[in-house]
Amino acid sequence: MEPPNLYPVKLYVYDLSKGLARRLSPIMLGEGPGVRHTSIVVHKDEFFFGSGGISSCPPGRTLLGPPDSVVDVGSTEVTEEIFLEYLASLGESLFRGEAYNLFEHNCNTFSNEVAQFLTGRKIPSYITDLPSEVLSTPFGQALRPLLDSIQIQPPGGNTVGRPDGQS
Amino acid sequence: MPHVLSRTPKMPQRGRPAGLPANRNISSVTRVIVKTAGNHKDFTVADDISVRQFKEKLSAHFKCQMDQLVLVFMGRLLKDQDTLSQRGIVDGHTIHLVIKSRHGPKSLAHSSQNLPTNVPCHRDRSTKGGNSGAYQPAAVSQAPVQSTVSMDSDASKVCTRNFEGDNSEHMAQMLGSPSVQRLLSNMEFMRQFVSEHPDMQQNSEVFHLLNNSEILCQALELAKNLAMIQEIMQIQQPAQNLEHALNLQPYPNLETIPGGSNALGQSYAGFSDQMLNSMQDPFGGNPFTALLAGQMPEQAQPSSLPPPPSQEQRDQLPQLHTTRVIYTSSHGLSPVTSTNTATNRVDQTSRANTISTKGQNYVCSIQQPSGIPALPSIEVTHQSREEDKDTTISICSSERRMEEDSLLSDEQASSQITGGMMQLLMNNPQLAAQMMLFLSMPQLSEQWRQQLPTSLQQSQLSDLLLAVANPKASQAILQIEQGLQLLATEAPALLPWVAPCLWGLGWLPAPSCSYPEMVPWAWNVPDMTEPKKPDCCHKSGAVLQKLRSLAGDPSHPSQAPEVRFSKQMESLQAMGFGNHQANLQALIATEGDTNAAIRKLKRSQGF
Repeated sequence: MEPPNLYPVKLYVYDLSKGLARRLSPIMLGEGPGVRHTSIVVHKDEFFFGSGGISSCPPGRTLLGPPDSVVDVGSTEVTEEIFLEYLASLGESLFRGEAYNLFEHNCNTFSNEVAQFLTGRKIPSYITDLPSEVLSTPFGQALRPLLDSIQIQPPGGNTVGRPDGQS
Repeated sequence: MPHVLSRTPKMPQRGRPAGLPANRNISSVTRVIVKTAGNHKDFTVADDISVRQFKEKLSAHFKCQMDQLVLVFMGRLLKDQDTLSQRGIVDGHTIHLVIKSRHGPKSLAHSSQNLPTNVPCHRDRSTKGGNSGAYQPAAVSQAPVQSTVSMDSDASKVCTRNFEGDNSEHMAQMLGSPSVQRLLSNMEFMRQFVSEHPDMQQNSEVFHLLNNSEILCQALELAKNLAMIQEIMQIQQPAQNLEHALNLQPYPNLETIPGGSNALGQSYAGFSDQMLNSMQDPFGGNPFTALLAGQMPEQAQPSSLPPPPSQEQRDQLPQLHTTRVIYTSSHGLSPVTSTNTATNRVDQTSRANTISTKGQNYVCSIQQPSGIPALPSIEVTHQSREEDKDTTISICSSERRMEEDSLLSDEQASSQITGGMMQLLMNNPQLAAQMMLFLSMPQLSEQWRQQLPTSLQQSQLSDLLLAVANPKASQAILQIEQGLQLLATEAPALLPWVAPCLWGLGWLPAPSCSYPEMVPWAWNVPDMTEPKKPDCCHKSGAVLQKLRSLAGDPSHPSQAPEVRFSKQMESLQAMGFGNHQANLQALIATEGDTNAAIRKLKRSQGF
């Protein structure tokens, strides 16, 4: 049996605050660089979750530009076809656009989910733990209503849907 | 999140296999979590169950075919002949399940054909047939669900992605494909597609542009008919024969050209910057960037500002070239009508020369507002006799036409253009002499502003404009007018013989509107024209009356308007229209028709 193809899986991490939170957050939020957006890059495509649902684009081609850091998640045998099916089913169920919540169910949630599907490994915890860290601060709680309404959708991607229209 | 639960097995003898393939002598069960999109379920299976058997269980549970199941563990696809334990799946592990859709992968070969070698969209590579990638599934069902349409949406979507790579020729190529054309023709589809695009939510310009159904319709029409427009343009170009030049094409065919003219007016006055910016945007702009880019560069130079106001009459003719040029460059994009209106407006006058120049100037002005000064200046420098009259005639007739033309379009959009144009007209002191006489009147200018958009809707203008652009043709028209003028003064008795021509030129009242099919504002030679707007004849009559009065037509006694309309003035003032000047102007415009004047005044005062 031929060796299965392995596709590398990477996690792109974007610091949305681009340093601003770095200045503000130690005071207000009490932890490191602030707001992060992540996406999974596999099969030469970048996939991320935003208020518009699951989107994809060429790697690094969202308006956010190149990622601030890249984390190697591992490699997967999952072919692109299967992966897209998987994403489509996710997009209909768990990761619909309206399900987006900046704290509870955001791009990092999605990236974590996908990473585990692809490789069985999670993404680094400092990313996924950000919301809870923020919410644990008084400032974060005070801003909670406002932050709940924030939806991040990096432009430049295309929505991933069920390929043949079936649900 | 996948939850790796640690749970001790129920039966003590079912120890926890440490992931070693040995231990077959101890039967054990494993509890695995099967996680599929959206939910997860625990399954307890024998330790040495094969993947195949596991799939059988799953297919029964999830009600699908076995070959639809794809099991993924730790990033590895589970093959049928493996066993779970072989793969190291122990208690509490999570296995991901993907249920493939029933239709197997379909090749997107034809969508790939549409797209040249550019950025390979993963959607193409996914080889899923009938791809509707840009839509949520619900949205897709609303769109006309055809395989070709779906494929087209995919093509469009891929094309959307490719925009980031900026390739206009790619777009042009893709546009040329019939499937994409078909897609673009489906307004509903496109509207939905556009509205669902993530960029729409963020780019207000594009959103506004693409949500304006009229713009979309026009743009689609333009895109579809670009070739036709060019063909028509070329046909008009070599027209030497005046008749041919003035020949009016059937109305439907002109829709494309008006679209082009419309594009000019709209794009430059109201939306020029926005449009160009929009064209950079991922979606809506690029298909038309190719069109615009192809047209604009070579037209940019000639269509620059027309000569400064103080030009000679002989400069008029060269300017006419720019008309055509400008017109050509109007195949940029956007819909809307103002330019068309303006030029149309002009054509409705009887003065060929002023028509041409005015039309051209309107086009120029709308394209670049600073070019407006040329309009009145040309009229000022018009060397033939009574140039003032010519100006006033044209202007008055224009106004007349505008106020009577009740068809039409969104004033709002074109009012921007006319407003800007009017602004410039007002601001330029050199214009004041002629234009201010009629335009400074608030109500008149208001009316003009209102009517301009509506008048612009008339589509016949475009080819006329082209005809006018022909310097020889306009010169011929000028000579005809001069000859007729001379005839009118020297031998009025001969006027009835040339009545048709005069009527066409606006000199005589339409004989009891017996030419319903003739376009009143066209200087047609008698053997021309096609049925246009049947309701134009009465308007032409009014226009002609006005022209007559202003030109000092011998068939009417020249009287000061105040004298002639003294009675009407009194009645107007008695009714409460206190503005003497406005009343006078209205009466002049309506040729003493009190009721029409009242309507006019009311309309102007209503704004």
